[in-house]
Formats: sequence, structure tokens, C-alpha cells
Amino acid sequence: MSSQVSTSADKPRTALVGRLSSWLEPLALLAPAGVWLGLLLVIPVLLIFQLSLVPGIRPGQVVNPSGIENYLQIVQEPIYLRVVLRSLMFALGTTLICLVLGFPVAYLIALVVPKQWRNLLLVGFVLPLWTSSLLRSYAWITILRPTGVLNTFLKAVGLPAIDILNRPPAVFIGMSYSLLPYMVLILYASLEKLDRRLLEAAADLGANPFQAFWRVTVPQSLPGIAAGCLLVFITGLGDFIDPELLGGASSMTMARLIYNQFLGVTRNWGFGSALSMVIILAVSLAIALLLKYGDRSSANL
Amino acid sequence: MPRSLLWSSRRQFLTGSLTALSGTLLSGCGWTLAEVRQDAPKVGDRNELRIYTWSNYIDQVLLEEFIGQTGVRVIADTYDSNDVMLGTFQAGGRGSIYSIVYPSDYAVAKMIDLKLLAELDKSRIVGLENILAKFQNSQYDPGNRFHVPISWGTTGLIYNSEKLDPPPDDWDYLWQHQDKLSRRMTLLSEPREVMGASLRSLGFSYNATDPGELKQAYARLAELKPAIATFTTDAWRDQLLAGDLWLAMGYSIDAVLVAQENPKLKYVVPKSGSSLWVDTLVIPANAPNPEAAYAWINYMLQPAVASQVTERLLFATPNAAAYDQLSTQLRDDETLFPPDSVIERCENLEPLPQKAEEMIEKYWTQLTSG
Amino acid sequence: MSQIFGQNRHATTDTGFDVELRDVFKFYGSEAAVRGVDLSIRQGEFFSILGPSGCGKTTTLRMIAGFESPSAGQVLIQGVSMNQVPPYRRPVNTVFQSYALFNHLTVAENVAFGLRLKHRQNREIEERVGDALKLVKMEKFTNRLPGQLSGGQQQRVALARALVNRPAVLLLDEPLGALDLKLRKEMQVELATLHRELGLTFVMVTHDQEEALSLSDRIGVMNQGQLEQVDTPNHIYEQPRTSFVADFIGDTNLFHAKVEGYHPNMLWVTTERGLKMTAKPSESGAALTSGQVVVSVRPEKIRVSLIPPSDTQVNWYEGRLRNVMYLGTHVHYQVELQSGDRLTVMQPNTVTDSPGLDTPMYVQWAYSDCLALPREEP
Repeated sequence: MSSQVSTSADKPRTALVGRLSSWLEPLALLAPAGVWLGLLLVIPVLLIFQLSLVPGIRPGQVVNPSGIENYLQIVQEPIYLRVVLRSLMFALGTTLICLVLGFPVAYLIALVVPKQWRNLLLVGFVLPLWTSSLLRSYAWITILRPTGVLNTFLKAVGLPAIDILNRPPAVFIGMSYSLLPYMVLILYASLEKLDRRLLEAAADLGANPFQAFWRVTVPQSLPGIAAGCLLVFITGLGDFIDPELLGGASSMTMARLIYNQFLGVTRNWGFGSALSMVIILAVSLAIALLLKYGDRSSANL
Repeated sequence: MPRSLLWSSRRQFLTGSLTALSGTLLSGCGWTLAEVRQDAPKVGDRNELRIYTWSNYIDQVLLEEFIGQTGVRVIADTYDSNDVMLGTFQAGGRGSIYSIVYPSDYAVAKMIDLKLLAELDKSRIVGLENILAKFQNSQYDPGNRFHVPISWGTTGLIYNSEKLDPPPDDWDYLWQHQDKLSRRMTLLSEPREVMGASLRSLGFSYNATDPGELKQAYARLAELKPAIATFTTDAWRDQLLAGDLWLAMGYSIDAVLVAQENPKLKYVVPKSGSSLWVDTLVIPANAPNPEAAYAWINYMLQPAVASQVTERLLFATPNAAAYDQLSTQLRDDETLFPPDSVIERCENLEPLPQKAEEMIEKYWTQLTSG
Repeated sequence: MSQIFGQNRHATTDTGFDVELRDVFKFYGSEAAVRGVDLSIRQGEFFSILGPSGCGKTTTLRMIAGFESPSAGQVLIQGVSMNQVPPYRRPVNTVFQSYALFNHLTVAENVAFGLRLKHRQNREIEERVGDALKLVKMEKFTNRLPGQLSGGQQQRVALARALVNRPAVLLLDEPLGALDLKLRKEMQVELATLHRELGLTFVMVTHDQEEALSLSDRIGVMNQGQLEQVDTPNHIYEQPRTSFVADFIGDTNLFHAKVEGYHPNMLWVTTERGLKMTAKPSESGAALTSGQVVVSVRPEKIRVSLIPPSDTQVNWYEGRLRNVMYLGTHVHYQVELQSGDRLTVMQPNTVTDSPGLDTPMYVQWAYSDCLALPREEP
């Protein structure tokens, strides 16, 4: 009897030890990355989360988490909701514009342009990234203002002037300009890997180039599209320079609001942390969706 | 008060501190905005002085002449708002590398409150007597125990005198000519300044703390809002010069610069009063190199140096001896050196109680997100 | 099932040829990949284009499919010139070497791809996809993704995807090249069965001569952009017209020789090493009556014996056994003649004991198995 008991107890234990040791090796290998991840990502986020639970905390005060008032404030004040919505609108709109403009460009560079020109074109496209984002926004002011470059041109060709500076369209233009290179780079990387034999197969089955594009090229580059959109969306969500300089009087965004909480008049770090957590959550959600989506498409390979 | 970000940036391009500039501009977010330099400071190096300043107060000539006189190498990091500078100090760490900082009036008060400043040993300072009497005893630091004023100015309206006739003379003008100015005017992107202007137009103090007064000021701004093209501290420049904007709320120090490019751009300090700001030199409490800091203060107080810097960088010096050495053209510039009657109508921005600050912050968010 | 695929045969054309190439050239820059190919493929024929890699066979197939356009010459399908017709309007479908399945679509959607583009009724699509998958025995994998299939299964799906469109001509680009030997044999049988059942014209490109010989009605052997010979497998093997064909198809022993005398269907030659032989001129051999020839003797046509042969209608020589290779069904001997020539001899595996190495022995082959071919200019 007793021996039976002991064996039945031993078995799971050895199994457990076996399972543990099978975990040990990867754990050891992952440890350095884990330490980095912990130091640079997990701990800061936890700190922000802790701060977000202290209503109205300011620099120099003791962190003493006490409740979710900061979060309630975001939900209860319609004004903050409006800021959130505006940020989302700017980020989503920019993502869409970048996708629509970036896809043909990436497609051209990856599939049409001769190989020896590709790198040059890509560098040309990425060149704007080397200038400061602030200077780029100021350049757009010069272009878009009522008597600026754009309207001078429109007038010269007999078209009516457009007054878009200090309105949302200008923000979309500025942000799209800044983020388009990222989209193009990522889509290029994805399209360049496209198996052209699949396009031949599609043509062979009766697809004209247009049909082949929609039925093969686009689905095949979906992971790239998703990654590009995500990057542009996240970066767009964090941009406050373009909205502020180009968007006119009503251009408060999440990023600027957070900035103001940390460095502005009141220094409400608690509320700022709560706002940050909302963004972190939104971005994490987007990444989780991408991973899930990416998994499915990689299973297709 | 943030100002002249791009404008003085251009100066920086000319004087060659390109790296420092791109660092400031590229970093984009509050935490790193001030972190121009990446190299670790060598604390205690007697021959090195790190200063933390507005970009428009520093140029290569100044740094080279200082090293010529004293043998101390200066590394200048720049910021574009007092809040960023305060953030750097409050966030700890980086603040401790500087021996000289250039806070504005209310930031001086805040830093004194937070015990971030060292009391100045006036026996080690030469030339303090040249500072104009009206700057010798400030509201924000009674007895000037912690600071030396280096520059001052006012907030007002910069306008296109060809387009606006009669010219603006007071804050009320904005509301009265709201239709004409629709989308042709900008206000500062500074909650305290904008609220202050509205408060003044209602006859209240720039530093009002009464919730009722603040609410009225906000309501008045909300009324003006549809006509405001945008809130910006410096992006109005090109548009004002090009004639796309007719009026911008701005600082006297910026008005001088645009007026030089286009004389029909004029500056006025509103009749009902505005803010008077002073930028100062202070030594942080834990400055690594106070010796060099005093050398810098004494250097900047030399009338010849002060007047040359003023001529070159165009700001108003509070140094009477330096003022006397300026060219007549600059001395007579009422934008830079307004008459005492104008200055009397102005107030310094003062630190506000937290309650009032929170209200202003909230009103500001409402105003800019509506 | 065959009636599903058979019923839509396009109207018979006058020529009776499904695919015709007329003096087709293809240049890449100054490099000629295909040089003056003339070819007519009959309706319902299983035609293979066989050749070493780089001979231009794939380019030829791609010109039929429309992925490449000829630099000169005409490509006709069912009598209609295809030169200006893009691939998606040609009545052909291709089975690609790499399968080229759409990995974002299920097996069924892959097969339905062509039908969807033609806006067929869903019901019809479902039916035809089902039939096509049944035809290739993949009906159980309808909802799998290509990534979840083995190579052979993917190949079947690729076949179904092409066949479901009822093409006039099915093009196969090294269709079995990526499969292992056993699977390849299986699929060869299935391809043959499919071809018989459907009665479609198959055009297959391959470098595998055995595959070509076993499956094809006719074979075109290509070398350096040109067709060397177009013939039935039997003729290709037994009556090669050029030394390239003789050498490329199967194993053979080649001798460079000089013509000494001739008779209507007999040549007397002396090889470079001085062997005298009696040979049969190849079909294209009218011009062989003098000058230089290449003589080909298949290893399996050579017999070995330990005593000199008594038969008179044979070439025979004395030599020594230098090497023995045991190949299961066959044994390869390598025999060194007194002239110094080395011959490969293939014997059925019936001899219980191989003679020892260096055993003196005699080799012999019939005059009719000794084929004289025109010498190619180097």
C-alpha cells in the first residue's frame, strides 16, 4: 500500500523536475534579453502604472497608490475623450493616407524599378527622415500658408486657393509626409520578398494584372501592410509637433496632453501617467492584434 | 517663457552648433528635449563649465571669448521652456551637471521654493551696481539673493501696421476686431500668458487666482477662439512676414527680430497691461563648478561684454553701463527698451497656488481641444 | 470524370495542331536562349521537351504560356497567333515546378482561383473544384492550407488548379522535379493516367529522360536553344539523329571515326584509335558516305564472352575487364580494348558469377546496333 502511494507521489514530481529542467535551458539563454526587457520596458511601465494610481501626484511627493481617480477623470471629462478621439483620428487618418500613397511607391521600387536603382530610390525616399521633424513642420507652414508655395502654384495654374493651414488637413499632410518613409520601407521589405512566380501563376489562371494585384500581391503582403500600419499608427499617436504647428487652435492631442501633465503648468504626473497607460494599452492591443494576425498569415506560408 | 525656438535655431545654424540643435529638435519628447549632450559630464573638472540656457542667449563668439579670458571651456545645453528646464532638475540626475542656469522670473521663485538654488555670494560678483534699480529688488526673489538679471522684456502684440488701421493698443482690440482678424491672428502657446491677457482685458491681474475671475477669462477666450488661427510661440513668424497673419501675440525680443526684417511690423504693449519677464543667471545648489559659475556671471556683467552680446543677439540688457555703450538705434528701440510708463503697467508672472494652476491647465486643455 | 474535362474541347482547328512554334527565337541581350525552334504539337498529344539545364526548354515553355514573348517567330495555339496575347488570355494552364500555390488560400480556393476570375456560379465552381480534387485524390484536403501539405500533395493541388479550367493545353514545367524518386514514379503513372482519361494536350518540360521516355507520345530534344530531334521515345532512343541525342538519351559508347567505304545501308569506318567497324547510317545519314562520323553503341546492345564470337554480322574486339558495377537489375562492365578504348557494357543480372578483374574477354555487337551519326562541328 505504502509503496504504491509513494510511487504515485513520485511520478508527478519527477515529471515536474523534468519539465522544469526543460525550461531551464531556454530560460538561461533568454536571460540577458529578459534583463534588458525588464529594465527598459517592464519596470518603467510598472512605475508609470504605479504613478497613475496616485491622484494628483507631483514631483517631490511620495508615491502612495490609492485609487483609480486618474482613470475616472479621463472617462468622465468629455474634453479628454475628445482629445483621445482627435489623436486617434490623426493617427488612423495618417495611417490610411500613408498606406494608400506608400503602397504604389513600395510596389514600384520593389517590383518595377530595375535592381540597380532600388537602393538609390529608397535612400531618396528616406532622406527626409534625416531632417528634424520640427523643421519639416515649419517647411509645411511655408508651403501651406494662404500665400505660400502651394497657393502660389495653384493661382499660377488658375485654380482657386485653398486655406488648409491650421486645419486638420494640414496635420494629415505633415504627419503623412513624416511617416510615409517608414511605411514605404516596411512595405518594400514585404513586397520585395513577394514570390513573383505567384503572380505568374495568377496570370496563368486568367488574372489580369489588376486582378493579380488584388488577389495575390495584396494578400501576400498583408503582414507587411499590418506592420507598416502599426508602426505609422503608433508613431502618429505620439506625434504632437505636427498637430500643434499645423493643426490650428484646436489641436490638443494625447501626446501633448501627457507632455503638459509632466512638463506643463500643473505637473500632474499621476494624471499624465494614467493617460500614458491608456496609450500603452492601446498600442499593446494593436501589437497583440498584429501578432495574432501575423501568426495566421505565417501559418499560411 | 519659451520663445524663438526656430529663429534662434537659425542663428545656431549660422554659428555652427548644428549638433546641439538637431539634438534639441529631434528628440521631440519632454524627457529628452533638454538632453542635447550625450557625453557624460566630468564632474569637478575645473576647466569646464556647463550652462543650461535659452538658445538665443548663446553663440560661438561668446563661448570663445570666455575661454580666451578665463581658460574655462563652456558647454552650453539649451532648452526652450522653463517648464522643460524645471523638469530636468526635478527629474533629478541631469540637473546636477550644470553650474549656470538661465531661469525666468517665476521659475526662479519655483527653484527657490524647491531649494534648487545656491544663494549668491555677492562679494564674489563685480559690477552688480550697474544693474538698473528697477531690477535690483524683484518680486520673485526679494533682495535678488539668488539671481542676477541678464535680460528682460514684455509680452505684447506684433502686428502688420499696413493692414491694421487703427492699430491695436489693447487686448480688447482682439475681441472688437474679431471678424477682421479671423484666422489672421495667433496667440502664444503659453497657458499663463494667454489666460493673463484675457484676465487683463477684464481688469484682473495676470496672476489672478480667484476661480470666478479665471472662469470669466476662459469664457472670454472661448468667445475669441473661432477667430484664432492657432496657438503658437514662434510659428507665426513667416506667416506674419508674408502677410498671411496680421497679428501675433508674442515677446518683445521676437518682435525686434521680425521688425528688423520688415519695418511695417510693429510691436505694442497693450494699454491695460501685460507681463514683464526677466531672464536671470543662477547657480544651482549642487553646482559642480561654482568657481567657473562666478567667473561666468562676472564676465556677463562686464559692460563691454553685455553690450556686445546685446548688439549681436538683440535682447534687452538690464545693465545700465552696457546700455550706455549700445548704438543709439538700439537704445531708442522702444520694443526692446520700452519707457518706464509702459513697464509700470506690467506684472511679473508669479508662481500660483496649485488649485489655480490646475484650473488654468484644465481651461487650457478645453480651449485647445474644443 | 473524363467527360467533365473532355466536353469542353475547343473546336478542332484546321491544322490539327494545338501548339505550333514557327522559327521562334528568344534573345536575352545578345545571348540567344532559343534559336529558331520549329515545332508542331498535335492535339491530345503528350509532348515532352527534354534537354540539359540551360538548353532553352523552359524558355520555350514560357513562350507558350505567355510569360516570355518571342524575339522573332510565331507562337500559335490552336491555330491562333499568340504573340500579342497576354498569359491571362491564353487557353493554356501551367503546372509550375515550384507549384506556386497561393499560400494565403485553402486548397479549394486555390483550385477555384481561375473559375472565380471567370465569374462562374458558386455552385458550378464548387462542383468542378470537387471533381478536380477527386481527380487528383485530394478531396480530403479541401480546407487545408498549402503550407500544411507535403510536396506531392501540393503537386496534386497544382495539377487540379490547372486542370479545373479545362485548358486546351496543359503546360508542365518540370512538374515532378522536386519530388523524391518513389513519389515521382507514382506521379508519373498518375500523369499518364490523367492524360489518357482527359485526352488533353500535355506539354511537359523535363531534364529527366526516363520521365520523358516513359510518359511521352513524342519528345523534342533541345540543346543550346535548338531542337536536335523531335520523335517518338522509341526513335529518339533507337535512332538518334545526332551524337548529342545519342549521348544525352541513355548511356552510349561513342567513337570518332572516319568513313572508309559504304554500301546503301552499311558503312565501314576506322575509329581514331584504329578499330575497324561496320556501322549502320542513321536516318539523317545520307551525307555520311564520306568524311567524319561519330559511331554510337548502346551498352545494353553489347555482349561479352570469354571466347571469340562465331557470328559474322558483328563487330567484335578483344579486351580486358577493368571494372564491375553491380546495379541490382543490371551489371555494368567496363572493358578496355586492346586499342585503349574503354567500353561500358550493360548485362542483365543473370550471370551468377562475374568474371574476375583483368579477365581477357571479347565484346561484340551487331552491325545494326552500331549507329553512325554526323560529326558535329565543335
